[in-house]
Amino acid sequence: MPGTLHAQLLDLVCGAFLLAAVVVLWLRQLASIVRAFALQGVALAGIAALLDGHDSRWELLAVAVGIGLLRAGLLPLLMRRALTAVATGPAPLAGDAGGGASGSEAGSTAGSGGRAGGTGHHYAEDVSEARETQPLVNVAASLLSAALLTLLAYAVARPLVALHPTPATRALPVGLAVVLIGFFVLVTRRRALAQVVGFLLLDNGITATAFLAASGVPLIVELGVSFDVLLAVLVLGILTTRMRAAFGGTGIDDLRELCDR
Amino acid sequence: MSVIGHATEAAVASAAAGALCGAALPGRPRVVASGVCTAATGAAGLAAGTAALRGARWSAFLPGVLPPTGVHLAVDALSGLFMAVAGGVILPVAVYGIGYAAGHTGHGAASRTAQAVLPLFALTLLLVPAAASVCSFLLLWELMALTSLLLVLAGHRSGPPAARAAVRAAGLWYGVMTQLGFLLLLAGTALFAARAGGETFTALRDGAHHLPSAVRGTVFVLTAAAFAAKAGAVPLHPWLPRAHPEAPSHVSALMSTAMVNLGIYGLVRTGFDLLDGGPRWWWLGVLATGALSAAYGILQAAMASDLKRLLAYSTSENLGLALIGVGAAGLFADAGGGAPAALALAAALLHLVNHAAFKSLLFCAAGSVLRATGLRDLDRMGGLRSRMPVTAGFFALAALGAAALPPGNGFLGEWLLLQSLIHGLAVPGLVTALVLPPAVAVIALSAGLAAAVFVKALGVAFFARPRGRRAAEARESPPAVLAGMGLLAALCAALALVPGVLGDGLSAAVAATGLADGPPLTGGPLGVRLDRLATTLSPLWAACALTACLITAAALARLLARRRRRGNARLWDCGGGAPTARMAYTATSFAEPLQRVFDRVLAPEQDVRVTAAPESAYLVERVRFRRRVPDRFEHRLYRPLLEAVTALGHASRRLATGSVHLYLGYGFCGLVALLLVLAARP
Repeated sequence: MPGTLHAQLLDLVCGAFLLAAVVVLWLRQLASIVRAFALQGVALAGIAALLDGHDSRWELLAVAVGIGLLRAGLLPLLMRRALTAVATGPAPLAGDAGGGASGSEAGSTAGSGGRAGGTGHHYAEDVSEARETQPLVNVAASLLSAALLTLLAYAVARPLVALHPTPATRALPVGLAVVLIGFFVLVTRRRALAQVVGFLLLDNGITATAFLAASGVPLIVELGVSFDVLLAVLVLGILTTRMRAAFGGTGIDDLRELCDR
Repeated sequence: MSVIGHATEAAVASAAAGALCGAALPGRPRVVASGVCTAATGAAGLAAGTAALRGARWSAFLPGVLPPTGVHLAVDALSGLFMAVAGGVILPVAVYGIGYAAGHTGHGAASRTAQAVLPLFALTLLLVPAAASVCSFLLLWELMALTSLLLVLAGHRSGPPAARAAVRAAGLWYGVMTQLGFLLLLAGTALFAARAGGETFTALRDGAHHLPSAVRGTVFVLTAAAFAAKAGAVPLHPWLPRAHPEAPSHVSALMSTAMVNLGIYGLVRTGFDLLDGGPRWWWLGVLATGALSAAYGILQAAMASDLKRLLAYSTSENLGLALIGVGAAGLFADAGGGAPAALALAAALLHLVNHAAFKSLLFCAAGSVLRATGLRDLDRMGGLRSRMPVTAGFFALAALGAAALPPGNGFLGEWLLLQSLIHGLAVPGLVTALVLPPAVAVIALSAGLAAAVFVKALGVAFFARPRGRRAAEARESPPAVLAGMGLLAALCAALALVPGVLGDGLSAAVAATGLADGPPLTGGPLGVRLDRLATTLSPLWAACALTACLITAAALARLLARRRRRGNARLWDCGGGAPTARMAYTATSFAEPLQRVFDRVLAPEQDVRVTAAPESAYLVERVRFRRRVPDRFEHRLYRPLLEAVTALGHASRRLATGSVHLYLGYGFCGLVALLLVLAARP
C-alpha cells in the first residue's frame, strides 16, 4: 500500500521536524543547537520531497534539494563559522572598556555560582560564549511550554484540517507548532546565535506550513524566501561579531544600552 | 460621446500638461504655462458643469485605471453644479495666480512643486463631484487633500522664521485633521458598500433601502462628520483658520470656495441621493452644526485682525448657513413637506454659488494687498484705497456680497434661505415649529454681524490713513492679478444682478437629489420666481431702483450744495492738533463693542498695563494693551485632547525599555493570545 506508506513516511518526517525544534530548546551548547537545526533542515527537505503536489514532481524535488542545501548545509555552516569567530576571536576592543564590563559581569555570575555551589552547578564556566548560559526560562519549563504550544497549534489548526483532510494537511499543526516554538526561543534565549536559530526555526515553521497547506510552493517563491533568509543570517552573523566587539559578549541584553532614555 | 465627456478629457489633458510644465520649465515660463493650463482646466470644468446643468448626462467606466475595481465617473445635474462652480472659480483664480506668483516669490507660490501641483489640485476639485463609485470617490478625495496640503506648505521655506513656523503648524493641523476625516469617510463608505452589496453609487442607491436603520445611521454619522470637517463646520474647524491664511492667496481662494463646497456636495450626495433621506435626528444634527458654525464663525471673524484669518472664519460661517439649508431640507423632507425641502436645498446651493464668487474675490483682493504690502494684519494697513484703487474697488464689491445686503450677490441666497425656513413653518410637526425660529434668528444674527465684519475689513484696510510705512508705500498689483480679480468681479456682479440664469440649473440640481416633485424655482433673465410660494424677486430691478435713488440723492446734494458758498478751512480737531493715523479706528477697536457684547461667548484674554511717569503717579508714560481672542473650541476641546494623547505617548514609552526580549515577548504574547481566542471560538 504505497498510499499508507507515503502517509507514514510523511508523519515520520514531520515528527522529526518537530522533535528537532524541541531539541533546540533542550540543548545548551550552541554548537549542538546548530546541529539540531541542521537536522531540522533535513527533515524540512524531506517534507518537501514527500509531498505529492498538483504540478510537476521535478519542480518540487528541486525545491526540496534547494531547501536541503540551504537549511541543512549552508546556514549551519555560516552559523558555525560565526560561533568559532565569537568563541575564539580576539579580545574585544583591546580589552579596555568592553573587557572591563564583561569581566565585572563574569564576576557577578561567578558570585551567584558560588552561592549555588552547594547544589553542584558551576556557573562560572558557563560564561563562555559557546553556551546558552541562563535562558530566561529554564529548560524544564521550556520543554513544558513547547508541549503547551504544540497543543495550542493543534487546537488552532483543527478547522483548517477539517477543510480538506489529507495526510499533508493533518500534519499542518506541526508547522504551526514549530513557528510558535521558534518564537519562544527568540523570546527566552539570551545569546545572539540562539536568537538567530530561533528566527530560523520560525522561518522553517512558516515554510513547512506553506508546504503542508498548499501541497508545495512554486520554485520561484521558495527561491525568493531562501535568499531572504540567507541575507538575514549573513547580516545577523555580522551583527553578532560586532556585538562581541562592542560589548564583549553576545548577550542581547547588552543592547539595552542602546535605548535612548 | 457627449460634451461633458470631451470637456472632462480636455480638463484631464490640460491639467496633466500643466503639471508637466510646472515640473519641467524654469522660472517665469513655468508660472505662465502652469497658470494657463490650470485656467484651461477650469474652463473645461465650467463647460462640463454647464452642459450637465442644461440636462446632459454622462458616465464612464475606466477599468484599467484603478484595478481591481476601476474608476466610475458619472455626471448629473448635482455634480454639474459643483463642477461648474469649481470651474468658474478656477479659471479666474488661475489667471490671478499667474500674476500673483510671478513677481513676488516670498510665499513659495512660484516654486516647482507648487506650480506642478496646482493644476492637479484644480483637476481633483473638478473630478470629485463626478466620481460615481466609492473607490473612485475616495481616491479623488484623497488626491484633493494631498495636493491641497502640498500647496498649503508651499511657503514653508520662505519668509521669516515665525511665518515658516506658522506654515508648518498649519500644515500639521490640516494634514492631521484631513486624514482623520478621511478615516471617518473610509469607515463610513466601506460599511455602506459592504452592507449594500456593491461599491458603485448605483449599487449603493439600490441597496440603501434594505439596510437596517442602525447601519444607515452609522453610515450617515461617519460620512457627515467627515464632510462637515471638510466644510469647516464648527467643532471640526480648527484647520480652516490656520490653513487658509497660510496658503498662497490663490490657493486660499480655491480652498475656501471650491474645496469646502465639496463637503456640502458629499453631504447632499450621501444624505439625499444615496441614502435617500433619513430620520429627523440626522437633519437636526446637521442643522445644529450649521447654526453653531454660522454664529461662531462670524463672531470669530468679527474679532480677527488678520485679514485672511477673518475671511477664513467667514467661510466657516457661510458653509454653516449652507448646512442650515441642507439640514432644513432634510427635516422638511422627513416631515413630508416636499416643496419647502426643495426650496431650502436650492437656497443652500445658491448660497454656495454666491459664496464661491465673493469669497474667491475677497481672498484674491487680500492676496493683492499682501503682495503689495507684505501685511495681513489689518491694524497696520489703512489708506490703501488711494494707493490700490482697483483692488479696493473689487474688495468693496465682494464685501458687499459677503455682507448679504442688496444689491450684493450674497443677499439672494440668504433671502431664499430665510424664505424657505419661514414657509417651512407650515410643515406639520412640533420639531419644525421649535427649531425653525431659532434657525431664523441665527441667520439674522450672522447676517448682521457679517455686515459689521466687512465694514471693518473694508474700512480699516482701505480707508483712513496708512498706519505704517509698508501700507504707505503700497503699489497697485500687476495686470494679470487685476484681470483675474476683474473676471471674479464680473461673476459677482452677474450673480447679483441676473441670478435668474441660474434658476433652472438649480432646479435640475435639486431634482437630481430625488427631493423635489417639481421645480422649486424658475428663473428668467430678470428675476427668480418661487413657483410653490408665489413669490418673486427681481434683483436687477432692485439694483436699478437703488442706483437710481443713490444718483438722485447725490444729484440733489450737489444741487443744494451749489446754492451755498463753499469755503475751504481746516477740519475741526477739538484743539488736539492735526489728526494722525493713530487716531483712526483699528480693527481691534472697531470690534471692541462686539467683543463686550459677546464677552461670555468669546472669553477674550485682555491685558492693559499702565506705566506711570517717575515724577507722578497721575502722569501716564505709556499704556500697553494686549488682546487675544483664542478659539474656545480649540481651548476646551482640542487642547485637552492633545494633552491626553501626549501624556499617553509619554506613558507608553515605559513599554519600550530597550530589552529585546521584552519586545519579542510582546509579539509572542499577542500571537499566543490571538491563537487562544481563535482556538476557543466554537
